[in-house]
Amino acid sequence: MRFLIGALVVCSILLAQDTRLAQDTKTQTLSNGMKVIVQEDHGIPNVAMYFFYRIGSRNERPGATGLSHFFEHMMFNGAKKYGPGQFDKRMDDSGGNNNAYTSNDVTVYTDWFPSTALELMFDMEADRIRDLAFDPKIIESERGVVYSERRSSVDNSNGGMLQELARATAFIAHPYHWPVVGWPSDIESWTMDDLKAHFAMGYAPNNCVMVMVGDVHFDQVMQLARRYLEPIPRHDPPPPVRTKEPPQQGERRVTLSKPAQLPLQIVLYHVPEATNPDVPVLDVIGTLLTQGQSSRLYTRMVDKEQLVLGVFGGVQDALDPTVFSFNMQPRSGVDPATSEKVLYEELARLESEPVPEAELRKAKNQMLANLYRQLKTIQGRANLLGSYEVFQGDYAKLFARDKTIEAVTPADIQRVARQYFSAKNRTVATLVPEKAEVKQ
Amino acid sequence: MKRQVLLAMALCAPTTLATAQVKLPPYTREALPNGTVIYLLPRTGLPLVSFRVLVKGGAESEPASLAGLSAVTAELLRRGTAGHTAAQFSEDLDGLGGTFFAGTDEQSTSITAEFLKKDFDRGIALVSEAALHPAFPEDEVRKALSRRLDGLRSMKDNPGGAINSYYRSFFFGSTHPYGHVPDEASLDHIRRDDILAYHKRMYVGRNLIVIVAGDFDPAAAKARAAETFGAAPAGTAYAWMADQAPTRNTSPKVLLIDKPDATQTYFIIAQPGVRRATPDRVALMLVNTLFGGRFTSLLNEELRVKTGLTYGASSRVEMARLTGGLYISTYTKTETTEKAIDMALDILKRLQEKGITAEQLASAKAYTKGTYPPERLQTVDEIAQVLGEMELFGLGRDEVDQLFARVDAVTLDQANDAIKRYYRTGNLTFVLLGNASKIRDLAKKYGPQVVERTARQPGWAM
Repeated sequence: MRFLIGALVVCSILLAQDTRLAQDTKTQTLSNGMKVIVQEDHGIPNVAMYFFYRIGSRNERPGATGLSHFFEHMMFNGAKKYGPGQFDKRMDDSGGNNNAYTSNDVTVYTDWFPSTALELMFDMEADRIRDLAFDPKIIESERGVVYSERRSSVDNSNGGMLQELARATAFIAHPYHWPVVGWPSDIESWTMDDLKAHFAMGYAPNNCVMVMVGDVHFDQVMQLARRYLEPIPRHDPPPPVRTKEPPQQGERRVTLSKPAQLPLQIVLYHVPEATNPDVPVLDVIGTLLTQGQSSRLYTRMVDKEQLVLGVFGGVQDALDPTVFSFNMQPRSGVDPATSEKVLYEELARLESEPVPEAELRKAKNQMLANLYRQLKTIQGRANLLGSYEVFQGDYAKLFARDKTIEAVTPADIQRVARQYFSAKNRTVATLVPEKAEVKQ
Repeated sequence: MKRQVLLAMALCAPTTLATAQVKLPPYTREALPNGTVIYLLPRTGLPLVSFRVLVKGGAESEPASLAGLSAVTAELLRRGTAGHTAAQFSEDLDGLGGTFFAGTDEQSTSITAEFLKKDFDRGIALVSEAALHPAFPEDEVRKALSRRLDGLRSMKDNPGGAINSYYRSFFFGSTHPYGHVPDEASLDHIRRDDILAYHKRMYVGRNLIVIVAGDFDPAAAKARAAETFGAAPAGTAYAWMADQAPTRNTSPKVLLIDKPDATQTYFIIAQPGVRRATPDRVALMLVNTLFGGRFTSLLNEELRVKTGLTYGASSRVEMARLTGGLYISTYTKTETTEKAIDMALDILKRLQEKGITAEQLASAKAYTKGTYPPERLQTVDEIAQVLGEMELFGLGRDEVDQLFARVDAVTLDQANDAIKRYYRTGNLTFVLLGNASKIRDLAKKYGPQVVERTARQPGWAM
């Protein structure tokens, strides 16, 4: 990889000036509204091609939850020119690989392939964006696949099931209430018409950002984009999500009883959407509290007091106001009330005492070093560029991330902690193990 | 919510274009007087330097009754050293924005750490101090062991993760080192003295491999490595165990683990495979890609794409120093357990009887070559991992530099011959984890004697 980033002296080096990241990234928008972002890197003869569609579970409705994710699966099941299985087969035959993910906010398709397969990939992506096929038999089979995915990630996963319950309790009005994978009864009931309507709503070129990083040339990419993607007509993007989550007016508690040997606990606090200036402060707080064995919660809860097996905390980028999440697994014999109380004590400490300068420096260094680590691979860079474009409104904000982190002060941390980490604003979900020995 | 990512082979997920052979970038290899082997792989670009320290031995070197000893030792390296308390070590590491992970596999302990270029000296000092001068304070030992016991409980609450430990315990058995899966009893036996003795015996020059990769000055790095790792006692080189291949069953074996609240059955179907250094490795890598190593594999095509029975079905050829297993792995809702197992067996049978076609082989070759560079050679830490494997398994740099030529050289006859020898259909080992009240009778269909355990019981299959 010839990609240069320069030195990270006290870690406060300017990403944009000091690296070729900014210069090597070029963009152009096609006449149909699709934005194309390209970063050339000839280190290995491969390419990462990512399509970010601004459609996710927040654009769904009761009765058809999980449809975005189901649709993600259907995008691999055949279109007009490349029939069922052909997308994967042609890709494998060419030495490529792919995946896709759906979140509350976006559906992202990720292709990695040797640069010799570039034109084939444009042809296949254009084919499925323009002319996806809807075969009733395949829909039934894929329904089984998605239900199996739900069984693995939720129904047979204590953490997954508690997470679903916690979010459904924290959000009572906004679509973040339901799980990305969908409620079981909806998975069983989606119809062909639901799918077609979803495709028509979300898969407009003007609702998509394409990011390409790797062994390509900008002009060559734009030429292919104009040939294959530009002819796809623009149409209306998904309607705005109207429902806003009303402010939470008191603590919500919920329990899940399940056969288990150890409890689990999730604590959620409502926080703002990704573009809000308080979010980088929350990112610093997440790092201070849970990143590394010197972090506050690890030191106290995992190590000194041995209350939990592990503790994780943070907020994920979201288009609408979201939640800051703490996940903990209490040790055997530890009352979850005890670990919960210690978490609140540490959150209160953030409010009452300014974070010492050295500790803040440490957290910032960790965040910057982690950012550099995500830039190591063409896949990592494609994902970051696309995420910044979609969630921050401009991929170039990635190049200023170091300055954004650097600007966070001890006073910001106190103010933000006071604002969001209140009892009234939290939801506590606890998995309570069913003690009775199950029959052999 | 991703589409299933399928594992290719245990160690290798090869590949690029038929045209350009990828090569390892320039590096140096040198043995210090105490036996430590040092690799230096300088590459500018990102201002990061990564350290990979390997200690030969791994699970293979543990006494049977102390399974988990090498892993606990690795975990404790940073929890108190000659010069730092555990807290100081973590403060220093996190303050530099560095990373430090230590873990074990079948044949080695590995420490991987990464620092900013400017922190090279402090980085290598921290890594070498943890590797060579840990103090193993009594209270840290106690905490680590107790946490691991709860870790077992947590693992058994999650069937997707637990089934692999049940498989290892049942398939390899109590007489094979790979069958010694850490459990409540073995963790209870480990004492601080065992850890001290293990470290003294194993973490010595003759067992050490140190790989420095990234943006650094080679001359200075060599000097620092000599001062630190070169000062370790030479010790005695670990005597590798003679290979003991798992014997083929004389009749099918079935293990059933009861988890009454499970709504799906997880299963593994296993038989003896190969060791990493086998001459058949490239042919097997290609065959396994087709059988269960990628999204369009025979297993995934039938069990997921065509029938929707599962979110993912795959196969794996273990590639450790000693001969390991070759197995099919998937899951399906309780009601379709029989259908899914029978379908997997049928695909295996068809592979054994009919082999693969020239067209399939060509596709596997292209896939292998296309996916190798981004998966194994893109970053310096990936390359460091490749170099470590070469040293550990006694393979030359041709393992990478000639990989594409070796892939191209595999003939259809060779691939089909490997299938005949390894993908057998009789006397298999079955591990089923699910709601036993609903699949207990079915389990008997696959073997006359079913061993049954519950997910709440201590231990694994033994």
